Amino acid sequence: MYNVLFVYLAMAVLISIDTIRRDRIQKGKDQERYVQERTLLGQKTKRVLLELKNLTITFGGVTALNAVNLKIYQGEILALIGPNGAGKTTVFNVVTGVYRATSGEVLLNEQSLDGMKRHHITKIGIARTFQNIRLFGDMTALENVITGTDVHKRSGLLGGLFGMPRARREEKAGRVKAHEILQFIGIDEYSDRLARNLPYGVQRRLEIARALGTNPQLLLLDEPAAGFNPAEKVELANTIKKIRDAGYTVLLIEHDMSLIMGISDRVAVLDFGQKIADDLPSVVQNDKRVIEAYLGVPADAS
Amino acid sequence: MFSTLIDQFWSLTLSGIALGFIYVLISLGYTMVYGVLRMINFANSEIFMFGTFATIVISRDFLGNVDGTKSLPLPKLILTITLCLLGSMLVSGLVAVFVELVAYRRLRARGTNKLATLISAIGISIVLSEFMRIITNSRPTLNPRVLEKKSLFEIAGASFRMDTVLTIIFAAVLFVVLDRFVKFSRLGRAIRAVSMNEDASKLMGVDLNKVISATFLIGGLMSGAAAFFYTLTYENTKFNVGFTLGLAAFTAAVIGGIGNIRGAFFGGLSLGLVEVYASSILGTEWKSVTVFIILVLVLVLKPNGIFGEAVQQTRA
Amino acid sequence: MKLLNRLREGNLRDWGASFWEQSSPTKRKVIATSLIGFAALAPFMGFGLLDTPVSDYGAVLVYPVGMFILMALGLNIVVGKSGLLDLGYVAFFAIGAYTMAILGTRTSLNTWEIMPIGIALAMLAGLILGLPALRLRGDYLAIVTLGFGEIVRISALNTREIGGPNGIANVPVPPSIGPIKFSLNDQKAFFWVVLIMILLTIWMIRRLSVRRAGRAWEAIRQDEDVAELMGVHTLKYKLWSFSLGAAVGGAAGVLYASKTLFIAPEMFTLNVSILILACVVFGGMGNIWGVVLGAAILAYLPERIRFISDARLLVFGLALVITMNFRPDGLLPRKKREKAIVKSTQDGI
Repeated sequence: MYNVLFVYLAMAVLISIDTIRRDRIQKGKDQERYVQERTLLGQKTKRVLLELKNLTITFGGVTALNAVNLKIYQGEILALIGPNGAGKTTVFNVVTGVYRATSGEVLLNEQSLDGMKRHHITKIGIARTFQNIRLFGDMTALENVITGTDVHKRSGLLGGLFGMPRARREEKAGRVKAHEILQFIGIDEYSDRLARNLPYGVQRRLEIARALGTNPQLLLLDEPAAGFNPAEKVELANTIKKIRDAGYTVLLIEHDMSLIMGISDRVAVLDFGQKIADDLPSVVQNDKRVIEAYLGVPADAS
Repeated sequence: MFSTLIDQFWSLTLSGIALGFIYVLISLGYTMVYGVLRMINFANSEIFMFGTFATIVISRDFLGNVDGTKSLPLPKLILTITLCLLGSMLVSGLVAVFVELVAYRRLRARGTNKLATLISAIGISIVLSEFMRIITNSRPTLNPRVLEKKSLFEIAGASFRMDTVLTIIFAAVLFVVLDRFVKFSRLGRAIRAVSMNEDASKLMGVDLNKVISATFLIGGLMSGAAAFFYTLTYENTKFNVGFTLGLAAFTAAVIGGIGNIRGAFFGGLSLGLVEVYASSILGTEWKSVTVFIILVLVLVLKPNGIFGEAVQQTRA
Repeated sequence: MKLLNRLREGNLRDWGASFWEQSSPTKRKVIATSLIGFAALAPFMGFGLLDTPVSDYGAVLVYPVGMFILMALGLNIVVGKSGLLDLGYVAFFAIGAYTMAILGTRTSLNTWEIMPIGIALAMLAGLILGLPALRLRGDYLAIVTLGFGEIVRISALNTREIGGPNGIANVPVPPSIGPIKFSLNDQKAFFWVVLIMILLTIWMIRRLSVRRAGRAWEAIRQDEDVAELMGVHTLKYKLWSFSLGAAVGGAAGVLYASKTLFIAPEMFTLNVSILILACVVFGGMGNIWGVVLGAAILAYLPERIRFISDARLLVFGLALVITMNFRPDGLLPRKKREKAIVKSTQDGI
C-alpha cells in the first residue's frame, strides 16, 4: 500500500520538477543570471546566523539525522526539502530545543544552543510555526500575537498585578506591536476573532504572525503552504519574501516545488537523515542525487 | 531503630513479598489501562475495594462462614476459596467495565481534553466509595476467619503461613497467565496494538471500544484477585481501603514503568519489600508517606520507571 | 423568560459580559457597588426560601458558602486558568489553619497579624510541592498533589507537638474592628471578612487575566509545548499559579481556624479537595462568575436539603461525572464570544 503511495508521490514530484525546469528554460537565461548575481552580491556580506555542526540524532537505534552540516546565512530564505521521513521536522525540533542532539551541535550566532531551555531559545531569537496548526484556539488572534511579544517583556506577574508603570507601558507597546505584525501579515481585520474560529488560511498566517511576535532572528516555517490553493500559495510566497526583506532570516520546510523554487535563495535536501545537496535552487533541481532521492533508486528501495 | 529490621529480616522479607504480590495484581489494573488510554484509571482503587466486599459477602452471607475461629474443613475451604476468588474477580471486573462505560467512553468519543476525562474518573471514584460508605455506615466490615493463620514451616525465622503461601502462589500463577495472554492471544495482541498506535489499529480493523472494555475488564479481574488475597490475609475491609493500597499500587506501576506489564511485577515486589522494611524502621504510621515520597522521587528522577524502557516522547 | 432562554442557549455569560462591556464607566460603578452591597446584605436574608433547616443560616453563609467560594476561586487559578489538576488543595487550607491555630494559641499575635504569615507559609508549601510536581504532566500531577494533601494530614495526625489526632482547641477569634465584633453567635462580621477576601481574589484574577501572566496561563492550559516554544517560561508561571492558588487557600484556612475555634486533622481530608474541585468544575472552569455560582450552589444545597447533606460527597462526585459528560464547560462556560461579533449584534441586544 505504501509503495503505491510512494510511487505516486515520486511521480508528482518528478512532474513538478520537470514543469519548473521547462518554465525556467523558457524564461531564458536572464533569470538564471539574476539569481547568480544576487547570490554573488550576498556572498560579500553574508554572515552565518545558524549553523548545524555534525548534527546526529538517534532514537533508540534509528538514526533520524546523520552528521548533518548546514549553514543559514543572515537574511536569506533557505528551503529544506526531502522525501517524507527524511528528517526535516527533526531539524526544527533540534533547533528549537524539543529534541537533544545525540552528537554535534547547533550554533546561533556562534553560540551553542546545547542544553538551553526551549523558552530561552525563543528569547534569543528562534521562532517556529507548526506543520499541524497549533494556535491557542481560545485566545483572539491579537492575544496569540501578544503572547509572542511577551517573551521580551521585563515586567512580571507582580508588576502586572499592581499596575506598575513599566508593566503598563510594556502592555501597551505589546498591543501596538501585535497590531503592526497582524497588519504586516495582512490579517489585522481578524484581530478580535477567536483563533479557532478563523478560516484555515488565516490560521496558517496567524501562526507566522505569532512567531514574528517573538521578534526572531530566525523564523522556522514548517510547511506553511500545506492545504493552500494556488492563489493562496502565491500570496504566501509574497508574504515570505516580504518577511525576508524586512530583515528576518527564514528556514522553510515545504513540499510545493514551485513555491520553493520561486522564493528560496538556497535549497538544502535531506534524504534518510543525510544532507545530499545544498545549493541554488536551479542547481539543486538538476542534481542527480536529489532526483534519485525523490524517485527512489531500485537498489535503495529494496 | 534498626534492630527490628535486623532481627526479623527474613520474616519481614516474606511478608513484603506477599504484600508485593498484592501490589503487583492491583498495579496491573493501572498499567493495562494506562497502556491503552494513556490515562490513569483513578477508580482502580474503588474497583479493588468492591472486590474486598464481594469476597466477604460471598464467604459470610452465601456460604455462611460466620463462625470465624478456626479453619474450615478442607472441602468447604476449597469451595470457599474458589468461589470467593472468582466472585471477587468477577465483581471487580464488572465494576471496571462499568467505570469505563460511565466515566470514560462518552468523553473519549467526543475527544475532549485529558483534564475532563480525569475529573470524570475522579468523580466516579468518589461516587463508588461514597456509595459503599453510606451502605456500610463508614464502619469497617470484618471477614470471619476461613483460614487459620497457622505456620506451615519456618525458614530462617520466617514462618510460611498458609495465607502467605496461597497469596504468593496464586498471584504468581495469575501474573504468568496474564503475561502469556497479552503476548499470545488474539485479544492480547489487539490490546498491545492499541497501546502502540491507536489510530493505526483502528484502521487495521480493531474494535477500539471492545478492546478498551476488555482492558478494563482484565485490569478489574486482577484487582479483584488482589482484593481476595487482601481480605484473606487482613480479614477486614472498609470503604476507603482502596485509597492507600491504590496509591501504593500506582507507585508500583510507576516504578516498573507504567504501561509495562513485566515492569509492574518488579515494581510491585520491590515496593512491597521497601514498604515493609521502611515501616519497621520508621513505624507503620509513616507508611503511606514513605510510599508517596518514593512515588515523587521516581516520577521526578526516572519518569519512565526504573524497569521501563526509555521511550522517547514526541512532544512537539 | 428571556433570561431562561439565554441560559438554555448557554450564553448567559456572554450576555452578561457584553452588557458589561457596553455600559459606561459610571454605570459599571453603580452596578458593581449595588451588587457588592446586595451581597453584603446576605446575612439579613435568612428567612423564607433561603433559610437553612439543617444548620444556622448565618453560619452557613460563612462556612461552607463563603469559604467554598473563596477556595474555589483560588483553585480556579490552578485548575481553570492554567489547566493544572490539583487534588491536594486542602493542604494549603490546612497549613493556613494550623498556622493560625499554633500561633494564635502560643503567641499573642491576632488573626490579622497571622494572616500574612499563614499566606506566606501556604505559598511556600506551594513552591515546595510545585518545584518537583509541576515538571510532571496531567494525571501524574493529579496523583502527586493528591498524595501531598494526604501527607500534610498524616503529618499533622502523627505529630504530637501540634495535638496529633486531637488537634488544637481554643483558637482565638479575630479582635474586633471598631464596632464590628467577631463572635460565633453572630457571624455577620466573619461573612463580611470572607466577602472582602472574595472580592480581593476576584480583583486579582481579573487583573492578571488580561496581563502577561493570564496569557501565559491560558497558553499553558491550551498547549503547554507550544507555549514553551513561544517563549513562555512555563515552569515559572505554573509555579506562580500554584502559589497564588495556595495563598488563597492559606488565607481561607487562617480565617476558618479563627472561626471554628478548634481544628483537627480529620477536617482536612481529601474530601475537601474534591468538594472544592467539584465547585470549580460544576460552575465552569476558568470563569470567575461560574465558579462563584457553582460554589454557592454546591455549598448551599446540602444545608438546604437534608437528604443531600447526608450524602454530600456522593452528590458532588455525581456532579463531577455528570458535568464532565454532559456540560464539560460547567454552568457558566468560559469566554466563548468574540468582541467583533458583540459589536455587530449590538443593535439586537
